[in-house]
Amino acid sequence: MNKESQEKAKWGTSYGELVWGEFVKSRLNVVCLIFVIFLFLVAIFAPFLANDKPFLIRINGQLHFPIFKNLRSTDYCIFLAAIVGIFELLLIGRNRRRIAPSIRGRVLWRQIFISSSIILIGTVLIFVFIPRRLDATDYKGMVASGKATDAIFAPIPYGYGRTNLKLREQPPNREHWLGTDDVGSDVLCRLIHGSRISLSVGFVAVGISSIIGVVVGAILGYFGGKVDFVGMRIVEIMMAIPVFFLIITIVAFFPRSLLNIMIIIGITSWTGNARFIRAEFFKLRKQDFVQAALSLGLPLRSILFRHMLPNGIAPVLVNATFGIAGAIFIEAALSFLGFGVAPPTPSWGQMLSLGVSTTGRFLWWLTLFPGLAIFFTVMAYNLVGEGLRDAIDPRLRKAA
Amino acid sequence: MSEDGVLLSVKGVSVSFFSEEGVAKAVQEVSFSVKRGGTFALVGESGCGKSVTALSIMRLVPEPPGKIMSGDIIFEKTKLLALSEKQMRGIRGHKIAMIFQEPMTSLNPVYTVGNQIAEAIELHQQKKPSEAWASSVEMLEKVGIADPEQRVREYPHQMSGGMQQRVMIAMAVSCEPTLLIADEPTTALDVTIQAQILDLLDELQGQTGMSILMITHNLGIVAERANDVAVMYASRIVEVAETKGLFAEPLHPYTQGLLKSLPRLGFSGERLQTIAGIVPDPLHFPAGCKFHPRCPIGCNDRRCQTLEPKLKEVRPGRCVACWHAPGYEAG
Repeated sequence: MNKESQEKAKWGTSYGELVWGEFVKSRLNVVCLIFVIFLFLVAIFAPFLANDKPFLIRINGQLHFPIFKNLRSTDYCIFLAAIVGIFELLLIGRNRRRIAPSIRGRVLWRQIFISSSIILIGTVLIFVFIPRRLDATDYKGMVASGKATDAIFAPIPYGYGRTNLKLREQPPNREHWLGTDDVGSDVLCRLIHGSRISLSVGFVAVGISSIIGVVVGAILGYFGGKVDFVGMRIVEIMMAIPVFFLIITIVAFFPRSLLNIMIIIGITSWTGNARFIRAEFFKLRKQDFVQAALSLGLPLRSILFRHMLPNGIAPVLVNATFGIAGAIFIEAALSFLGFGVAPPTPSWGQMLSLGVSTTGRFLWWLTLFPGLAIFFTVMAYNLVGEGLRDAIDPRLRKAA
Repeated sequence: MSEDGVLLSVKGVSVSFFSEEGVAKAVQEVSFSVKRGGTFALVGESGCGKSVTALSIMRLVPEPPGKIMSGDIIFEKTKLLALSEKQMRGIRGHKIAMIFQEPMTSLNPVYTVGNQIAEAIELHQQKKPSEAWASSVEMLEKVGIADPEQRVREYPHQMSGGMQQRVMIAMAVSCEPTLLIADEPTTALDVTIQAQILDLLDELQGQTGMSILMITHNLGIVAERANDVAVMYASRIVEVAETKGLFAEPLHPYTQGLLKSLPRLGFSGERLQTIAGIVPDPLHFPAGCKFHPRCPIGCNDRRCQTLEPKLKEVRPGRCVACWHAPGYEAG
């Protein structure tokens, strides 16, 4: 027996491992997952991929590291979140091998709590202590004029907020691989930085809507009867409102900030999740193991969230991946209509809208590339969601 | 029967289910008592209200649509029906535990068996997680699972039905309840495993002195394992007796019919008798005695067709609900 199968025999195969095994069986799933991970890496390392500041430069014989000096608070927050997130993932893997199963659940919650507190406290500290720099030094000019040497620039040596009206509306060329926009910013650079907006909108909005949906759906499904009747009518009222117009209306009243958009998308799109969880809980309530848990005298919190939720969460997980795609889409649409994030913060939808320029020309590269980015991201998420659904319930795939 | 020896007494409990088609009286005026350390069997066909009776003792009848309409359930001098939900949670699993018919679906598929046993132990005995884990290993050993250190980490799907039922039993008896309700504990298992599980229950009963309320439709199990037995038919108890007495001299025509339909060792060649007809639908019970359409005596008797006989004690420890049972009219 090799080491891995020994470990398996020692710890048993969990539900998560079964689903994962089923998920990676399809090559398409793996490709899409890798694409999503790639997007994340691009978003995390955006300032190192596209930046007008060099990594390293020698001015008057002294070495400078402008890129690191010019990282903004948001960048530090993202790095912190990424590091803590990866660390947490590794910990979860380690928990399965090292932590006794009796306390694993509690350890996991404690770890998640500690990680989130680190991220939150870190974010506050970063915003308080890291000053905003405005380094307007033209490093490229210095290199060109020979004042500085040994400069190492990022692969795409442009900042996303750069305006250079001499270079505006250029089609793709050797300098600007995907062209420039109406104020002369590099499109590729803006695409890279825009991925941050799209991904964070997707995740935060779906996170909010999942949490609301799960809690509401669990209560409706478990208690049933009058609670369910009243709750479902509220859900139906929410569903009857055309969400997109509601969002546009709300966005018109509130300041155009990314956070506002995420929250608004989140609190308007939980109804689907609530209905999924409600249906699952109706079914689960009658299951023998829930009856058995009740007959052991376990408290309601344990019944709802420990015994029922993990058995009914699958449709919400699948819906979440579709939801991320949907939120990216809504954000793009909002930005396209001019209700999204304010320039110069780059967003894919906003870039798309620049395709029809003020001069009346159709700038195909401004439409095509952000469009492709949206297309591939949304498609990858949808395919991951579909793969997940099939992995969770293999019967569905046979039926399809 | 002295009151001290009684652990649980169910007095005149009625449970109804309300649906759009009407009111189904699933359990009507059921009364019986379970002695300390004894095994009490509740026998009857599917749908006669055995399981609902068990659920009403645990106060787990789904509400709505179900409702306990009347009656009293007294357990160790506590009126269970008067307790708050929170107090009731302290009793469930701690004092009264239950095992279910289908071991395959009675364990939560996403947790290891150890996790599930330990949760109840932690809750009711205020043990630390590591101690609870150790006790769950101990419990698995007690219910006869080989290699408990290893098995405790496994998920339910990695076990056979018999093992899963052993785990269920371990879970139920882990907090040393004084009453164990076994709702058809062996129906889903094959015959050899059935015997093993029943032996295990006997053994545990011998060790802990708990009482068992066995719900079954298998008269063989009743004859072998129970001290007392109540026969249920269409929501009512029709006969209560000591096991030996019931098998020697069944008083109710339904019980007589049931016993005649059992194959016996030594008798061969004869056709087994059946009880004609089917169990009535709880939404449309017949008037009078519910058994009269199928009863060889009652089908022609005016009184059986119009008046329902109540359960009455015809001699000490022997109750029956039939107009024609000997001694019924006198008592």
